[in-house]
Order: sequence, then C-alpha cells, then structure tokens
Amino acid sequence: MTDIVDARGLVREYRMGEEIVHALRGVSLTVSEGEYVAIVGPSGCGKSTLLNLLGVIDRPQSGELSIAGERVDRLNDARATEFRLRRIGFVFQRFYLMQALTARENVELPLAEAGMAGTERRDRALELLDYVGLRKRERHRPSQLSGGEQQRVAIARALANRPALLLADEPTGELDARTGAEMIALFDRLNADGTTIVVVTHDEDLARAAKRVVHMRDGEIVA
Amino acid sequence: MIITLALASLVRHRARTVLAILGVAVSAAMLLDMVMLSSGMRESFRGLLLSQGFQLRLSPKGTLPFDTEATIRSADSIVALIRARPTVEAVSPVLGGQLHFPLAESMANATALGVEPAVQGDYELVEGRHPSAENELVANDALLRALGRSVGDTIRAAAGYDPQLRTLSGQRVLRIVGRVRFIYLALEQRAAALPIGTLRAMNGPTSIDRASLAMVRLRPGADVEQERTALERQLRTVTVISTAAALKQVDERLSYFRQLAVILGAVSLVVGFLLVTTLVTVSVNERLGEISVMRAIGVRRWRVVAQILLESTVIMIVAAPLGLALGLVTARWLNSILARFPGLPERIDFFLFQPSAAWTALGLLALSGILAGVYPSWRGASLPIASTLRQEAVG
Amino acid sequence: MPGDTVVIAGIVQRRADPAEIARGEYRVRLHLDHLQSLLGYGDRVDRFAVGTRGAAATADALSRINSAAYGFRAHRSADIAVETSRTFAVVSRFHRAIGVITIVASAIFLLCIMLLKVDERRRDVAALRLIGCSTRTIVGSVVLEAAAVAVLGSIAGVGVGAAASWIVNQHYQGVYRTPLRFSIVTGDIVLLAVALSLVLGIAAGWLAARRLVRTPPLALFGR
Repeated sequence: MTDIVDARGLVREYRMGEEIVHALRGVSLTVSEGEYVAIVGPSGCGKSTLLNLLGVIDRPQSGELSIAGERVDRLNDARATEFRLRRIGFVFQRFYLMQALTARENVELPLAEAGMAGTERRDRALELLDYVGLRKRERHRPSQLSGGEQQRVAIARALANRPALLLADEPTGELDARTGAEMIALFDRLNADGTTIVVVTHDEDLARAAKRVVHMRDGEIVA
Repeated sequence: MIITLALASLVRHRARTVLAILGVAVSAAMLLDMVMLSSGMRESFRGLLLSQGFQLRLSPKGTLPFDTEATIRSADSIVALIRARPTVEAVSPVLGGQLHFPLAESMANATALGVEPAVQGDYELVEGRHPSAENELVANDALLRALGRSVGDTIRAAAGYDPQLRTLSGQRVLRIVGRVRFIYLALEQRAAALPIGTLRAMNGPTSIDRASLAMVRLRPGADVEQERTALERQLRTVTVISTAAALKQVDERLSYFRQLAVILGAVSLVVGFLLVTTLVTVSVNERLGEISVMRAIGVRRWRVVAQILLESTVIMIVAAPLGLALGLVTARWLNSILARFPGLPERIDFFLFQPSAAWTALGLLALSGILAGVYPSWRGASLPIASTLRQEAVG
Repeated sequence: MPGDTVVIAGIVQRRADPAEIARGEYRVRLHLDHLQSLLGYGDRVDRFAVGTRGAAATADALSRINSAAYGFRAHRSADIAVETSRTFAVVSRFHRAIGVITIVASAIFLLCIMLLKVDERRRDVAALRLIGCSTRTIVGSVVLEAAAVAVLGSIAGVGVGAAASWIVNQHYQGVYRTPLRFSIVTGDIVLLAVALSLVLGIAAGWLAARRLVRTPPLALFGR
C-alpha cells in the first residue's frame, strides 16, 4: 500500500506577542492509501496545525512532508495552490461555502478553477451532490440549507477534483448529534469507496468510526 | 463564477454600492469637466478662428488684432500685394471704429466694422442682404433693439462725437439692409458692419487707406507657416499671425483656467482613487475568511484578485455614463457662468465636449480605479491562509 | 519718424491692479506735458483723478463737478472699479460654482466612506447590542468618533488650505509679476469650511450608525 502522507519531523512555531508557541515539535506521521485516520487531543495540542500542514495551507519551519509522493514542504505559493486544487480536499468546521453561489455552483468552483468545461463541470457537480444526497437542493443557496446540508455540500466541493487526500477539521463541530451521525456515516461511505481521510476531531463518535486514531499532546504524537 | 461572486457581493451591500457608484460618478463628472475645460477654450477658439476659413491675420506691427487703436497704413496697396500672390484665395480688410446714433432723448453707440462685403468673414447674415451700396449697413439684434429699428429702416449715424462740445462728425444717413450675427463679438455687444470705404469717409482723413486688420484665406494645399513668414518678410509694417500663434496668445491669457483644470482634475482623480481603495479594503476585510477558503481549496491568487477587482470595475462601468451625464450638465452650468466674461465672443465655449475628452476622463478614472483596488485585493489574497482562517473562526 | 530722446530715470513696480493682470504690454511714465507734446495732444488728458477727504466731501465734489463741467462726467472710483472688475466678478462666480460642486461631491464621498468604515465595525456593534448596549449609546459613540475625526480633519484642512493659498499667491505673483493677492484665507472662510466639514462629518456618521443599529444583531454577525 502506498503512503499518501509521509511526514517526518515536522516543526511549526508561532509568535503570539512576546511568546513563541511551539505548535508542533517534530511530528512524524504516515497515512497509507485508503486509510481513515482520526487525530485527537486536547485544545491547543497542535492537531489543527498538523492538518493545515497536510493540507499545504501552511508550511513547516523544518521537517519533510510528502503528499501522494510529492514533496510539499517547500513549494512556492503558485505550486502549493495548484497542489491543493488537484490533490487535496479540505472540509472546514464552519463549512465556508460562498454565500452568493448555489450549492451546485459551490461544488463547481474548484472544477472551474481546474479548467473543466461548462457542461462537464455541471454534470460532475450534480454527480457529487447526488453522492451526498443533495441533488434536489442544487439551486439552493447556503442560507437556505441546514448546517448538515451545508457541510455535505462542502464535502462534495472537497471531492470535486478527485483528491488524493481528504482532510476534515472538526467536520461535526457545528452540527447537532443527529446530523453529526449522518456525517459520520458519510465519511464511512467515502472511505469504503476508497477515499483516504484524515480528520481532526473532539467528537468521540467520529474518532471511533476512524480506522486509526492518533493522539496528540503539546505538539507531539503520543499514541 | 467570478462574475457571479462579484455581482452578488455588490448586490448584498446595496447602500454601499449605490453610494460608491454616486461617488465615482461625481469624480468622473468633475474629471470630465476639467478635461473639457483644459482644452475647450482652445478648441472652441480655434474653431472660431477657422470658421470662415481665414488662416492668417495681419495687424499693425507689434500688436494683436484689435488689441489697440493702431491701424495699418497703406492698407489698400498691402491688400493688393497679398491678393496678387498665387497661394492666396481671398483677403478681407477690416477697419474697426465706433458709430454714434443720435436718438430722440439719448445717444446709442456701437462697434463699427468697415468690411468688403464680398469677402468679409466677420458676420453671418440672418435676414436681408449684405451692404452693396456705400450708404448701407447691417446690424446685430442688440443694436437694432437699442435703435428700435428693423431691416429696411434708415438711421442717422456719426463716426465721431466730441463730448465736450457735444457735436457729431462724419454723419450720414444709412439704410439697414440686413440683420446679422457677429462671429467674434460678445453677445450683447452692439455692432454694425458697413462698406470699409464708407467708414473711412465718415472717420475723416485719419482713416484714409487704413485698416485695423486683414484676414487672409489661402488656397488648399498652401503651407500656412511658409506663407506667414514670406508675408512678414515682405511687409515690414505688419505682424502676421497664424491661427496657431493666435491660439498660443489665447493660451497664455487664459492659462489660469488650464492650470485650474489640471489641479481640480488631479484632485478628482485622487479622491476617486481613495474612494475605491477604501471600498475595496473594507470589502476585502469583510471577506478574509471567504478569500482564505478560496485560496485553501485551490483558487489561484490572481483569480481571487480579479474577482475583487471586478467589483470595482462594475462600479466604474455603471458610474461612467452617470458621470458623463452629470459632467455635461455641470459643464453647461459652469459655461453659462464663464460666458459672461466681458468682451468674450458669443461663440466661445470654455467647456467644449469632445468624445476624446470623455474617453480621456473615463480612461483615467478606470485606470485609477483599477490601480486603487490592486493593492488591497492583492494584500487580502496574500494573507497566510491558516492563520487567517483561525482568526476568522475566532472572530 | 517724430520723437524724442529720453533718459530712463527709474524702474517702477506694477500696482496690484486686477485690470493689469495678464497684460504683457510695456508701460512708461512721462511728464504729462512731455507726453502731450509727443502725441500732439495739445492741452488734453484722458481723465482727472480727484482726491477728497471723506464720503461727504466726495459726494459734494461729484455733484458740483457734474453740474459745472461741460463735456465730461465725474464718477466715484468705487463705481468704476465695479465696472472694470467684471472679469473678476465672473471668475469669482466660477470659483463659487466650483466650491458648490466640491461641497456636494465631498458630502457624497464622506457619506460613502463613513458608511464603509462604520460597516467594518458591524461585529463590534452586534456584540455590544447583544450584551445590552442601547442603540442610543452606540449611535452616540459613533457620532462622537465622527465628530472627532471631523474636527481633526478640519484643522488639517485649514492648514492645507492656508498652505495652498500661500503657494497659489507665490506662483501667480511670480508669473504675472504683480503684488496682487490671488487667494486670501479670511476668518469667515475658515469658519464656513470648518462648520461645513463638521456638519457633513457628523451627519454622515449619524446616518451610517443609524443604518447599522437598525439591523438585527445576529444579522450583523452574518447568521
């Protein structure tokens, strides 16, 4: 099984006023293709920071990181953007859909960016919405969707360009218990269909659903 | 997609968008007015000078046409000399003076132009005909109103008036044969034109063979500057001015308005620039989360910037015709104020609309609007994604 | 050509006479009888200037000269000045028109920018509303801030205006070689400018604040 994620000795620090926060202190992690990994730990342990590095939306100060066989820790902005577009799917706690676009248009956004033609793009977007059970809501704007529906649209958007890796930062954080359970079931289905998933979560149910749980504390993986 | 996002953002903040459009429209209007002002006088005057096709003007040496009371001596032989040149199509001699019209209880005075009606270029006939006999004249509406006369009537006129002795000299009874509009005179300036010989005779011995000005029309293809130089070399007692030189004089006299136009135009541009910068900055600051997410899902930086700039571009596009209309209205108003300049020819416009002026103004504004939006949008699109998302989540 | 040889006895400075501005002509001063003989004028002049002591004396002299003289009229200098300064009356009206346009334009710009800046603080305003601050307090604080900005702006504006006025005078006095003052900043003008900017600034702030407090707090949070 190939490793989708190969992280070695990742260090990330932040300056907060006078203080330096050591968010990650030499973290190493591998995730194989098709795995479903949950990263858990108390607030401030560095799990979201790790996820941001895996999503190539942040850079480590030192260490090596390869995603889908490509070194990503020293990419320039343009190449990092391109990588995120084609190889990474990111799901945020607060959905972050474009309020001005419909559900379908939100899913089409990364497809348009990747240069897909109009009709093909539309079809792909509808296919993804169908997959997440929201085909009938394609013309609705985010303000007309519930939290769970918005998160499903966000997942469809993340899957648009068939990413090698799907990352989710507290995907059930803004959802009630029932909707959260639906989301967990969706992630299960995604993984069963072959998607490599890494989630960061406080949700015990979500953590339990994952195939492997990684525990973090004070910027290090402890288990 | 980018267009949809840009338009949606504008619609979402209607009040702000409307005010921004109004603000940019006002900037555009002022800028257009200033561009019109900077070139309007000049172009209007050029049009006036060339309206009758005369490219050169001769005046007494060292003076500008009608700037002083000096006259050209031996005018007839000078005119004949110029007419003999193969490049010359027509020469119109003009003698300036005053006519005094004794009325029942008062005296009406008017500017008098002695002309050769066949080649004159000083007036346009509105009613009647040109004077063909020596005791005929044409007059403008202002004079006819003051005299209480119309075409066909006769009137006693005198060329000289001694205020100490209260006596008139050079009197004649003249028939009004035409109603005219004088091209180079102010609107309310009373004026009449009559055969140059008649005015000379009325003025007395000092005016014999004199002219205040001679206008020269060249044949098509003639080199104006070459002709001007040749005439000035040949005729030592006159100054020969081309239209270009006359315009230069006007430019110098009215340089104040050009400078004012440049300053106010620059201020309009700066204010428009500031407005757009503020608008884009606030718009970006409000959407940092959205912008960071777009970057996180792989939208390229320049596309994010393009989407933001599109908003300011839409505002410019909507504001432009509004600004154009507003600019034309205010230009008319300002022109009506400046048209009351004493002695200004009726046909001179300070604010002359030319399509090139409109394009220049709108082009400048569009460029400044785009430049104004580039920095804040680039800054917003370049913020570190992770920390911005974190801040926006907390905020 | 008839003429005479003269000695240049001195060089005179131009008077601050508006009618002489932009006239590039040369001027000489001679003894009256010398010029009369050069021109062949004989015992003629273009005009007399008469100095009097006080308004009553002026009126008395005016009526006595006009009733006694034959063939000429006496005029008050002030009346002639009005007539000869028609050009400047036109320019003055033009400036006033530009001033009106500037005020209208400034009002629009100010309102627009105030709206934008107050809008930026929507979340702060929403939070204040949610914790129980009255709309009166919020509007009051925004208006106070707008007033402070208007006062500071006015002070800066008066400074800039005074400097610009000085520059204009220096420039045109040099160009036209005249001591005439082209721009004068008087107390009235300063008072008008400050009053206008205060009124406009405060009005703009009040309008923008009123608009914001009328929006429900949760809407301000974007929910």
